[in-house]
Amino acid sequence: MLVFDQLNKGESALRILAWGVVAGLGILLAGLWRVQVLSGDEYRRRQETQSYRSVRVPAMRGRIVDRNGLAFAENQPRFRLDIYLDELLPQFAKMDGQLRKELLASRGATNAPDPGLLDRFLAKFSKAPKRVLITPNEREWLRRQARFAVVSNIIQLINQRLGTQIVKTEADLYKHWQQQRALPFPVINKLTPAQVAILTEQGWSFPGVELELVPVRSYPNGQLAAHIIGAVRTYDSASEEDEAFDYRLRDYRGLIGLESAFDRQLRGRPGAKSILINSSGYRHRQGEIMLAEPSIGDTLVTTLDLGLQKAVEKSLAQVNGDERGAAVVVDTRNGDILACASAPSFDPNAWIDGISHAENTRLLDPKMKYLFNRATYGSYNPGSTFKIVTALACFEHGILTTENAHDRMRTLGYYRIGRNHKIDDTAPAGEYDFNRAFVKSSNSYFIEHGLHLGINNLLEYARRFHLGEKPGLRLNEEAAGIIPAIEDVPAGGIPGKTANLSIGQELTVTPVQLAMVIAAVANGGTVYWPRLIDRFEPGDTLSDDPVERVRPGQVRTRLSIRPEHLAIVHAAMRDDVALDEGTGKNARVKDFAVCGKTGTAEVKAGNRLLDRITWFASFAPFESPRYAVIVMVESGGSGGGTCAPVAKRIYEYLRDRERGTIAFGQN
Amino acid sequence: MFPANLQSNAQRERLIDRPLWLGVLGLMGVGAAFIFSATGANESARNAAWYDYTAVRQSIAYALGLFLVGCACLIDYARLARWALLAYWFSIVLLVAVYVVGVERLGAKRWIDLGPIQFQPSEFAKLAFLFAVANFLSRPVGELSSPALFVKALGMALLPFALVVKQPDLGSALVFLPTGIVMMLVAGVPRRFLIRFFAGAACLVSLVLVDVLFAPANWRFIQLEEYQKHRLLVYFNLDFAPRNATESQRLTARAEKEKKSYNVKQALISVGSGGTWGKGWRQGTQGALGYLPRAVAHNDFIFSVIAEETGFAGSLLVLGLYSVVLFSGVKIAGQARDRLGRILAAGVVALLFTHIFVNIGMNIALMPVTGIPLPLLSAGGTSVICSLLAIGILQNIHQNRRHY
Repeated sequence: MLVFDQLNKGESALRILAWGVVAGLGILLAGLWRVQVLSGDEYRRRQETQSYRSVRVPAMRGRIVDRNGLAFAENQPRFRLDIYLDELLPQFAKMDGQLRKELLASRGATNAPDPGLLDRFLAKFSKAPKRVLITPNEREWLRRQARFAVVSNIIQLINQRLGTQIVKTEADLYKHWQQQRALPFPVINKLTPAQVAILTEQGWSFPGVELELVPVRSYPNGQLAAHIIGAVRTYDSASEEDEAFDYRLRDYRGLIGLESAFDRQLRGRPGAKSILINSSGYRHRQGEIMLAEPSIGDTLVTTLDLGLQKAVEKSLAQVNGDERGAAVVVDTRNGDILACASAPSFDPNAWIDGISHAENTRLLDPKMKYLFNRATYGSYNPGSTFKIVTALACFEHGILTTENAHDRMRTLGYYRIGRNHKIDDTAPAGEYDFNRAFVKSSNSYFIEHGLHLGINNLLEYARRFHLGEKPGLRLNEEAAGIIPAIEDVPAGGIPGKTANLSIGQELTVTPVQLAMVIAAVANGGTVYWPRLIDRFEPGDTLSDDPVERVRPGQVRTRLSIRPEHLAIVHAAMRDDVALDEGTGKNARVKDFAVCGKTGTAEVKAGNRLLDRITWFASFAPFESPRYAVIVMVESGGSGGGTCAPVAKRIYEYLRDRERGTIAFGQN
Repeated sequence: MFPANLQSNAQRERLIDRPLWLGVLGLMGVGAAFIFSATGANESARNAAWYDYTAVRQSIAYALGLFLVGCACLIDYARLARWALLAYWFSIVLLVAVYVVGVERLGAKRWIDLGPIQFQPSEFAKLAFLFAVANFLSRPVGELSSPALFVKALGMALLPFALVVKQPDLGSALVFLPTGIVMMLVAGVPRRFLIRFFAGAACLVSLVLVDVLFAPANWRFIQLEEYQKHRLLVYFNLDFAPRNATESQRLTARAEKEKKSYNVKQALISVGSGGTWGKGWRQGTQGALGYLPRAVAHNDFIFSVIAEETGFAGSLLVLGLYSVVLFSGVKIAGQARDRLGRILAAGVVALLFTHIFVNIGMNIALMPVTGIPLPLLSAGGTSVICSLLAIGILQNIHQNRRHY
């Protein structure tokens, strides 16, 4: 064979040459084997690392809907205008050449082609030092300027066409160029339909400019149930889970409400794509590969009823238009939250395109506290509404019985404890049996019996309603309320404290907590876990993923209230609304027997009255209770005057809905 | 294309060295295909005219080279060798001319501009040098044991060496030395001269390296161009910053090194990422995305493109084709009718092999980066034509092996 022949025969010098060639080729072969076969994978990885950029593609956020599938939060398509820098590279180069020529001209030189042969020959002997016309730093600066000139020219043209006033500074572009060169440069985030029409109808032909359709979070009902549904803000910085990505496209993070509490389920699973980039960091043509499709977030089905929610908010808004308060409607049969309103409210759409500083400041106003969910996060003295608990505790412990409930007790219009502690009574002096005391909300009557009961028995009974514990809505904005600890009470108790507690002053509850208490009273003693979330459905309707349901009617505690005692309390609550002397008569609804209790808690500092928290706690209908409605208004006049009318309007809506005169979702 | 004294079919068959030319044709095919792969996409994006495609120009150079080979083979190499000294001095004049009126590209003056074409005198000088030295050494063996003659022969190599170094093109210059030594070896110059020279050269080279790489600035008696020094530092993986540098200097130096070792790094990534079977013709990304700089992908680093797209299998094929050409050369040297032919053929083999070894070695970081083209594969008219002419010399010697 050709090779071996040369190695073994012939002249020694030629054999040396042949062996030398063999050795050399052998070295090359070994080197190539090492690089290509042994380290091939390593080099392929390095090649991929340098020429691919991974991009995290956010999934569409899951919807939040009411129990009938009506949307509280959804996604709307929106057009965005982007400039793809990589498609402008020829323009960049041209502009760069032009700028360079201008700069050179201004320095009295040209970048004309090389001088001729003779000139070059003569230049050899010339002593003049070679001038550096443009330093490398200036070159870099020129390229920057060229990029900006091209991009701002295009933006100018867009402005002319659309009549917009978009300004992108050199710094904007440079920042994008440095950090996200492979991604398109965003120019207009929100195009109106008219603008889209202009751009698409007239044969759009600007290089690099493209319209992009993106989903945008939207709350079609604006302020409706905003505290429960919550809000999102756009989110740019990477968290640990996506550190592996080079770039992440913007997505949303929940700020408050369900959007925040169930952010992970709603956000879905982000996808990933990889962009082929060239050595200058620009995207390469057709170089995008989708590695994993994003999968849309779960649809969160709440237990809320959109129509009822609207009615509740409208009813609450009729107090005086500037009210601070809350209203909660609970299904007494299973603990479902049907409506949950807090006033004043806010529009969660405000964050989508960035909230203004002024608006942000307004929302954080210390008095109005627009973002504060008063229904779940606000703890207030329950005032006289707590007398329901006091009454049941007295029946439980035999302080009150079916017989002695009819005994009359004489009151003075105030109650004196010890030498110098006097508690005013809003009910006038007179003779009160249980029913009258309840209907007229006599403090003296309940303090008297509360003192007999003793503070420990009362606290222990209140705890069985899980007061002082979070109700378990799974929201982040959830308060537990404050109830005095039994250990804190000295043996025998302090009579003043016991007296105050009997009429709902020494503890605080949230409106939702009180709603759960009333629901338990209404249904005969079953304390349910409140249920705000019905189920999570896969966002993709074609998906086979299972629906994650929250079981309705989960019992937290069963109170064993004797039916005859319950009947007395129910009757008293009915009479509070039904009788003309009842404090809750403003809540009376035709053909719908409302049972309620008013409350007015005074917030005092020493003897100075700071504020009044007014309440109306109720359920209906009397015959077969289905709804518990709690209304709370800060700085109201009285429970009966301020809150009962709100409840009345809510019950009217419920009555009409049950009759079928109102369709779902309407009011 | 062939001498008129063909007599029979049998003789004609032996006229053309078939394996040699099959190897050459194979290399030309590979060259055209992968130059197109390296430059085609970019040129079609630029809407270049078809005749402006580098691959087309390369093919034209191939054709022109073959034609010139045909012409050169019409004349017996012994007659050509009579003009050797003239050609040698002519090439020396051209090299001087480059220094004076050469065109500067990328900081080096290697080209002479003749209007539509530019050519690289150093390539021509290699051929002239081959002939001149072979001619000089083809005297009776007895005379070669004179040291004066050895020094003279060495001088013939050192003169163009020095001029090409001055361009600066250290890589091309270094080609002259191994070629000259191989020719002396084959000519029968006493081995002790060569061994002494070799030892001396080795000492000198290590002294130069130590001086360049480690000596403080004011001790340096050899001034290399800055970029040459950087290439050596990159090759030996040494810090750019002097030992007493401050931290910030060190950082700039490291960034500088990163920048200077860019080509080497990217060539390695190209070759390595090809793996065993490669990514497929025109499927390589290193050139297309510009990581392998466009200015060098189709010439000095064409092997990276081939290796990326065809993998180790393709590298093996290229090395195979070269070994066919090289061993045909060695065989032709062995069959040559006279010492001139043998020395000349050995010189051609050495010249080609030096190019191949240094160029492929540089693509896999076995050798420092130099501007040495890969014969027949690198884009570049002068290089292609001179490589073909060198192989034409082999053909000439082959077809005249029996003319006593």
